[in-house]
Amino acid sequence: MSVEPNDEIRDPVLQRAIAELQRPVTLDAEVERRALDRIRAGAGSGRRFQRLAWLGAALAAGIAFLLVGHPPAPKNPPMVSGTRPVLIRLAAPASRVAVVGDFNDWDPAATPLRRAGDGATWTVELHLKPGRYHYTFLIDGRRWAGDPDGPRAVESDFGAPVSVLTVS
Amino acid sequence: MRAGWMVLLFLTVGGQARAQDHRLTDRLDPATAAAVQRVVDSAAHEGLPTEPLIQKALEGGTLGAPGDRIVYAVGALHGQLGRARAALGGRASEADLTAAAGALRAGLPPDALQRLQSLRGDRPLVVPIAVLTDLVADGVPPDEATRSVLDLAREGRPDEAFMALREGRGAPSGPEPGGRPPLRPAADPPVDR
Repeated sequence: MSVEPNDEIRDPVLQRAIAELQRPVTLDAEVERRALDRIRAGAGSGRRFQRLAWLGAALAAGIAFLLVGHPPAPKNPPMVSGTRPVLIRLAAPASRVAVVGDFNDWDPAATPLRRAGDGATWTVELHLKPGRYHYTFLIDGRRWAGDPDGPRAVESDFGAPVSVLTVS
Repeated sequence: MRAGWMVLLFLTVGGQARAQDHRLTDRLDPATAAAVQRVVDSAAHEGLPTEPLIQKALEGGTLGAPGDRIVYAVGALHGQLGRARAALGGRASEADLTAAAGALRAGLPPDALQRLQSLRGDRPLVVPIAVLTDLVADGVPPDEATRSVLDLAREGRPDEAFMALREGRGAPSGPEPGGRPPLRPAADPPVDR
């Protein structure tokens, strides 16, 4: 920055101050070397800051994955090793039937049954690993029905009839 | 820098154990999901299977049960899984523990499960325990059901023999793998939702 002479300033003290400010500043060589060393050191801390920024971004990405990145669980994969085919059937007058249970997260939309040729029988084939499963049928989207061919679960906790299925 | 990645790994792995199961948060109200998640976390900390607990909560959600009833049922199952593990030991599979929890709930004593386990050796217990449970649920006295199942186990019979025992007792067989169960009209009137 430079200060132009100002003819309107008559005060000699002010004029000397202005002249002093306009004088070029010269640094001592040792002071200049120390200043440059400090600047270089500052560049090193910048690299550390950059590393921390990357680490912070990676942490944020990991946390975001934990919060929102869960892929939906498969409902009933068509064929997984170690599974056995199980035929589920229900004879009932209905316009649509679904089965819900431990094998499809109790999701009414996951496993609809198909109407057989006789018009009154509904079937679906599941592929299940060995274990004991609880299930029930949803008829026409509003009525629950246990499986008349399956044992009734002793663990029926919520009022609706629940059946059990054992796969060996 | 290496320490930074270790921190990231710790947060990621540790966070998985504490993360809420999205199925609970998606299907249950927030208070119920949080209460169920606490039970699930406790089970995980104890080394118990957690999936049966989540399925029980989802069952309640789908069947329209109130939140407190869902939490109660999940808590009860947690206790049954703990008693099943105490009976069968820490090496029991998740499937065996889940079946054993159902047996205990049906009123079978833990020592019946232990005797069955000692007779079966390393073979899975799911089918014998399930048949035992179904027989008791169908009205067979526990002592008689236990004696019949233990006899088959003592003879080293396969799973099919246990299933046949259940059918021979008149209990419904349920869907059979690859089989064609007899068709009957619904025995019980469906329950209105």
